[in-house]
Amino acid sequence: MATISIADLAVSYSGNRVIDGLDLQIAAGSFYTLLGPSGCGKTTLLRTLAGFLPVERGRIRFGDRDVTALPAHRRDIGMVFQDYALFPDKTVYDNVAYGLRARAQDEATIRLRVGEYLDRVGLGGLAARHPAALSGGQRQRVALARALVIQPQVLLMDEPLSNLDAKLRVQVRETIADLQREAGITTVFVTHDQEEALALSDRIGLMRQGRIEQNASPQDIYRLPASAYVADFVGAANVLAVEAVTPDAAGDGVTVTLAGRRIIARVPRRLSGGAVLLIARPEDLRLARCGATANAVSGAIVRKQYLGGRTSYRVRCAADGAGIAGPDVMVELHGAGHNDWDEGAAVDVLFDPQASIVTAS
Amino acid sequence: MTGAWQVRSIWFWLSIAVVVILAVFLLYPLVNVLASSFGGARAEGRSGWQVLLVEPRYLKAVANTVTLGLIVTLTCTLVGVPLAYIAARHSFPGKVLIAILPLTTLIVPEVIAAQTWLMMLGNNGLLTRTLAGWGIALPSFYGWFGLITVMTFIYYTYVYIGTLAAIRGFDVQLEEAARSLGTSPARSRWQVMVPVVLPSILASALLVFTLVVGNFAVATILGHKVDLLSVITYQTFVSEVGADPVMQSTLASVSIGIVAVVLFIQRFVLARGRFEITLGRGARPEPLRGASAWALALAAGFVVVISLLPLVTVMAGAFTRARGPVMRWGEWTTANLERVLINAPDPILNTLLFAGIATVASLIFSTGVSYLIVKKRSALTPVIDYLSSLPLALSGTVIGIGLVMSFNTGWLALTGTSAIIVLAYLIRRLPFGIRNASSTLYNVPNSIEEASISLGVPPGRSFLKVVLPLMIPSVAAAGVLVWTTTVAELSASVVVYSGGRETLPIQIFRLIDSGLMAQASAYGIVLVAIILIPIIVATTVFKLDIFGAR
Ligand SMILES: Nc1ncnc2c1ncn2[C@@H]1O[C@H](COP(=O)(O)OP(=O)(O)O)[C@@H](O)[C@H]1O
Ligand SMILES: [Mg+2]
Repeated sequence: MATISIADLAVSYSGNRVIDGLDLQIAAGSFYTLLGPSGCGKTTLLRTLAGFLPVERGRIRFGDRDVTALPAHRRDIGMVFQDYALFPDKTVYDNVAYGLRARAQDEATIRLRVGEYLDRVGLGGLAARHPAALSGGQRQRVALARALVIQPQVLLMDEPLSNLDAKLRVQVRETIADLQREAGITTVFVTHDQEEALALSDRIGLMRQGRIEQNASPQDIYRLPASAYVADFVGAANVLAVEAVTPDAAGDGVTVTLAGRRIIARVPRRLSGGAVLLIARPEDLRLARCGATANAVSGAIVRKQYLGGRTSYRVRCAADGAGIAGPDVMVELHGAGHNDWDEGAAVDVLFDPQASIVTAS
Repeated sequence: MTGAWQVRSIWFWLSIAVVVILAVFLLYPLVNVLASSFGGARAEGRSGWQVLLVEPRYLKAVANTVTLGLIVTLTCTLVGVPLAYIAARHSFPGKVLIAILPLTTLIVPEVIAAQTWLMMLGNNGLLTRTLAGWGIALPSFYGWFGLITVMTFIYYTYVYIGTLAAIRGFDVQLEEAARSLGTSPARSRWQVMVPVVLPSILASALLVFTLVVGNFAVATILGHKVDLLSVITYQTFVSEVGADPVMQSTLASVSIGIVAVVLFIQRFVLARGRFEITLGRGARPEPLRGASAWALALAAGFVVVISLLPLVTVMAGAFTRARGPVMRWGEWTTANLERVLINAPDPILNTLLFAGIATVASLIFSTGVSYLIVKKRSALTPVIDYLSSLPLALSGTVIGIGLVMSFNTGWLALTGTSAIIVLAYLIRRLPFGIRNASSTLYNVPNSIEEASISLGVPPGRSFLKVVLPLMIPSVAAAGVLVWTTTVAELSASVVVYSGGRETLPIQIFRLIDSGLMAQASAYGIVLVAIILIPIIVATTVFKLDIFGAR
């Protein structure tokens, strides 16, 4: 168990700088997820932590060890790969025992430990099989046991679930969460799947072009996105250009104008003034009959999609006083009567002051 | 400098070492050959190229070589393509026999093929004399007739194998699609299959052309009356009185040039034919019945029998009593075999020793180099890649001459040693070994090695513990192929060998030259056994897929 500290890290591929000046602290024993779209540098950062890519500038520490110059095999890491990377010519048992043998443990200890970890991932009976005779989910469990059995300081996982089908993904996800909690190993998990990130992590680092855009708990990433980019990447969000009018009396709120109406929203971070963005998730919005409802904009339903447990509506906001056409707002209703509104109906869209965020644009 | 940079630099230094080795043993001899062709010719004080252009014998040899190449390429295509089509699309009585065809080129060395054809159709040949007894006179086998016949039956298997793979890989659904659009079966086959299969046919035909240009064994044994490039190159090299270093270089350069042009065309053809790789559902062979089935079976059987004839002849010859050059067919003896095994086993021992060292060294070197090429790419990777494929453009004769010219004297005088023979073997098999090991390595994902490193095993040991074991089946299969082709190697070793270091093919070649066919046959069956036993052991005991490695 070790804290991971990354200071001013820069990494390049033959001159092309992919990570530039990244700073990050990951608490000991926590489950940290690097989340972001493909190509943003998650794998690069992970492989740099593992020691497979050379550092151009900056320092990496595991606890009080500076590992920046340490070759991969001496970093005391466990790694789980997207393609499992099991040794195909070795049995499940020998795969899991591999790291222990490299540490020159005696066979009796190895037998004990391998047995214990195979049981933990639920593969106790398959020790003699070869990887080719396992399903994808079983293979990834073996890879997990192989990485954990050496009780590494740091566990690194690069999209370990993305080769599995949806149902297995959830199962293996639970195994990973259980094992990580039990072992308390500092874990860095890479994914482009927001649901995985939200379900597993203590903290999430949302990456954008080699930088960490927001480093926060899953709840804060979802509820208090630092930018439109974050809000847009994690879940669906209405991102609306608005104008700030006044700071609210309560101190952390602000009043903005949208389509000629006043909306009160939260301001989690200091604004530097000027044009701002109002961010509201579709499921936080409500619909009401047209009237002078407070904290709402009026408009008309232009598109409706019934989705089973919920219904999604597209509402075109009415033009403001100056005749400028209002934006489209997505609203998602669930619970009783979610399907009751019809296309073409004139409605008010209600904003929840606690669940609506204003950020700088 | 961080640790990761240091790790990388080890591989970089290894890459530099490989480049140096290849430059010294491959590039330097090649440059030597090319450069000295511009030196002043021995007597006339003109450059080799000037002599080449005015001396009719040399120009004739170039023309003959190209002509022979074109004819044999054509005849091989005419035999190989229909045979492949029949084998892929039809079933008929006795078809299983065709499956052994790819083996024949592998297990019958060229020198033995040439020899056995002579034993049948040469001036003293069994068939020649039998037919003469019936009053039928055959044209002399020493010349175009013999050259074309023998080379066709040696090389058509390359076209056959290449075409067969392409037709098998061709997706019949394309043909069915064409038929569903209202085209007749024959037309749709012609319109859909031919364009897809054609690049493979062309590529293998061009390969045959380069093999004919580089061929030494058949050309020398049967080409007495036809001047061919490889033969007069060798002659200008060995002739006691007239050894002519400039002309030998010039002639070698011409053959390099011809092959280089062909390889360039081949690259172009293959680049355009990329789509051929789409593997689809192969066609189920249609059974043939009635007269056409028997006609086909007969034609295919004829080709198979002729391909196997050298094997039968060499067996019979080895056990036939002979007085000097005269074979007494029908009188059996084990004297020939006793002689070569007990009294004069040196060629056998030399072959085993040289080829054994070369095979092991070749596997180690090509596995290491492939690792650098595939897994540790650097600025030097393309250099290594190009250098190591150079031997594809060089015939054995050229490689041999280059080595002798370069390592005759000086700091590395190898002429007259066994090392130069092993070196010649190594260079000739280098492209094959590297191609095979690389394609295996491409199939081993990097993550496996990284998984091992992440578990605490240093990079070098990780390679040995997890990557190498995965490569072993294919490296072993490649080893068998390297062995079989190395023990049969003649054209380079005959240039570089010195007295007492004769290998089996060299000894057989010399005996054929002296007309001692019985003894040549005895060495011949030993050579075939040395080739065949590893193949049999590898495929039956170790279940290796030898032909997958080609
Ligand atoms: N081996 C490589 N050589 C050169 N560029 C690379 C290499 N690997 C990744 N990149 C580039 O670095 C950037 C980040 O890649 P990566 O870390 O793999 O992203 P992610 O894992 O988030 O999808 C991408 O623009 C990618 O093209
Ligand atoms: Mg990635």
